[in-house]
Amino acid sequence: MTENILEIKNLRHSFNTDMEVLKGINLNVSRGEIVSILGPSGCGKTTLLRIIAGLENQSGGTVNISDTVVSDSKNFVPTEKRDIGLVVQERALFPHLTIIKNVEFGLKGRRDDKYKAALNLLKLFKVESYANNYPHEISSGEQQRVAMARAMAPNPKILLMDEPFGALDHALKSELRDETKKIFKDNGTTAIIVSHDFEDAISMSDHVLIIDDGLVVQEGPAKDLIPITRNNSFKIA
Amino acid sequence: MSYKNLLDPWIILPTILFALFVVPVIWIISSLFGDYSDNWTHIYNYTLSNYIYNTIFIIIGTSIGTLIIGVGSAWLVTTYNFTGKNILEWALLLPFAVPPYILAYTFTGLFDSYGTANNLIRDIFSLPHEFIFFPKLRNVYGAAIVFSFTLYPYVYLVSRMAFINQSRSILEVGRTLGFSKFQVFYKLGIPSIRPAIIAGLMLVLMETISDFGAVEHFSVNTFTTGIFSAWFGLYDFHTAKQLAALLLIVVITFLILEKYSRRKNRYSSGSNVFSPIAAEKLKGSKNILASLFCTIPVFIGFVLPNIQLAYWALNYKLEFFNEKFITTAWNTFYLAIVTAVICAVLAVVINFSIRYKKNKLLNILSSFLTVGYAVPGLILALGVSQLLVFMDNLLFREYLDFVLTGSLVGLILAFVIKSFALANSTIESGFLRINNRLDDVAKTLNTSGWKLLTQIHLPLLTTSFLTSMILVVSEVIKELPASLILRPFNYDTLAISTYIYAAEERMFDAAAPSIAIVGVGLLPIIILSRLIVKSRPGYRNNDNHYQSY
Repeated sequence: MTENILEIKNLRHSFNTDMEVLKGINLNVSRGEIVSILGPSGCGKTTLLRIIAGLENQSGGTVNISDTVVSDSKNFVPTEKRDIGLVVQERALFPHLTIIKNVEFGLKGRRDDKYKAALNLLKLFKVESYANNYPHEISSGEQQRVAMARAMAPNPKILLMDEPFGALDHALKSELRDETKKIFKDNGTTAIIVSHDFEDAISMSDHVLIIDDGLVVQEGPAKDLIPITRNNSFKIA
Repeated sequence: MSYKNLLDPWIILPTILFALFVVPVIWIISSLFGDYSDNWTHIYNYTLSNYIYNTIFIIIGTSIGTLIIGVGSAWLVTTYNFTGKNILEWALLLPFAVPPYILAYTFTGLFDSYGTANNLIRDIFSLPHEFIFFPKLRNVYGAAIVFSFTLYPYVYLVSRMAFINQSRSILEVGRTLGFSKFQVFYKLGIPSIRPAIIAGLMLVLMETISDFGAVEHFSVNTFTTGIFSAWFGLYDFHTAKQLAALLLIVVITFLILEKYSRRKNRYSSGSNVFSPIAAEKLKGSKNILASLFCTIPVFIGFVLPNIQLAYWALNYKLEFFNEKFITTAWNTFYLAIVTAVICAVLAVVINFSIRYKKNKLLNILSSFLTVGYAVPGLILALGVSQLLVFMDNLLFREYLDFVLTGSLVGLILAFVIKSFALANSTIESGFLRINNRLDDVAKTLNTSGWKLLTQIHLPLLTTSFLTSMILVVSEVIKELPASLILRPFNYDTLAISTYIYAAEERMFDAAAPSIAIVGVGLLPIIILSRLIVKSRPGYRNNDNHYQSY
């Protein structure tokens, strides 16, 4: 039986009393699984990701990571203690640090060890030649690779990715998706990807959730996902 | 808020500071709830409306003047290359070093009926003795002009910093949508840096409201002259406090409105890809007009008063520059740097606490901390002095009579309370420009609290930190009422020397220390203004690439 690394039960959230953004989400993610959360803008998928990360405190429900309650009505484990990684569309690389220093940032231990670990990750994402450059000196695709390397560096239990390929052109997206999936599978990385892009979900993930208006409207294997071109949405066969 | 939150150091420190800052202010405001004397009734019936009218007129005039000069010149030096630009981009800061009261003194020396400028015109054109070319300046118009030309650098500095950090692509998109260059300026350039402009303008307005020297010299009755008249003319300190309290209520209302409007306009770069604005070369008449637009404020706000001061000084008291002068200058510089560092550090800690803890109470406390800037110096000095006497009685009564009273502690505390708004405004703008996503990512990398502040925010706040120090140093060097009341015995600053002479209309004597104030004030302005561009994250020598955050 596969081990559940993330377990979400009846998650509800509202930013004010009138508007409920999440209306009772349930989600289980197994170790090494890549899950995509799809849905239109404003459906609550980014809020769900922020709650898993501990960047928002939900109004109701429970979030468990590795069988530990990290967030419910009584407990709240802060982001920095949750052992998760985060990649965002804007990359959010630290502009005052070089590429290697960005990746080293979340690592602990001796300086040499941190350097070697960071360099290995940069090699994995094929950006090691930019180790001593600053973020603004490399392209957006390369920045995204660095952002993923940085998030993976501390070896988090779950990697959370919010529209990770959103700002990239089609060819670059496709190349980066394939490479990223291979790296994730080789390393046994557990990842949750939030996207509104059908291609992201089908090419990257094992499992897909479709959220609309704060509710999971469909759930199933990524291979069964089919697009509906009429209204630019999707469904699971 | 839970009890656990109350013990959080990120909440305790700002709360203690709040208590320290707010006691003198509460002491002033509490006067409104006491008795009202006959003097108050007299002021209320006969002069209060005049104070209000004049104060509002000067505020509106100064706002218009500083916005046109400050934003216009910041836009020109950022987006265009024109004759003299390389000098003007830092020269536009020079009037920072000239306090309004010194410009007012030199203006009357120059433009009064028989001042240098009118005499010159009459001599050149052989005009009759009674002919007066330049209009009288000893009125509200003159006051607004003086404030505009001495205070516009506040708006210029923050606007320039914001324009430097603005991405070229935003403006280019505007051009592709059919906007002219001028339309891009007022429809995209200005709105996108509005928080910075409002922050700069706030500083100008608080400085204007607090000023006493210039309006008193021009015989314009405002709230501050009213406070002074009540105190030193009617010897009614209680009524003076009540007038000051009214002024404080106006300022507090204004601050709350500003805070509210700024919260609705939180801008930060949404993209990680940043292209600096590429300056376009101007030719012909446009080149001349741009040069003139940026030269005139420097000439009127800095060159002209200094020529007049130099003329007075060279013809009279050059022996002022002796050992005593060096001691006085050192005292001034020491106080300014210590205050600037304290203010900038406090502003960083408080704004970080607000951002990190997302605590609404801290946000409200922060608004109150900035009120000190608008408190007239003498009133603030009395509030602080009262506080120090109270603390001496509480802590040291059994050992010594006065430890804190009459020490530099009181003087620095008053300076910090008065100058904190300057530092806070700039640091707050700096924090607004740091994308919240950086904090989110840093937290997932096991970075929070002190480490988040020192390893992520502080390096990105270098520009704001230095800018806030420029503002505070410049303010402290010019500040004198608090120094007069709170200085340790025989502890002179340049401002005190100037004030004593100027108050007696001995302008020939006041000229040399005035020049010294300008001179000492110039050093940090020149050094730090050069660092503003260089300190931007990602800046490299011989490399014009920048990284937004």
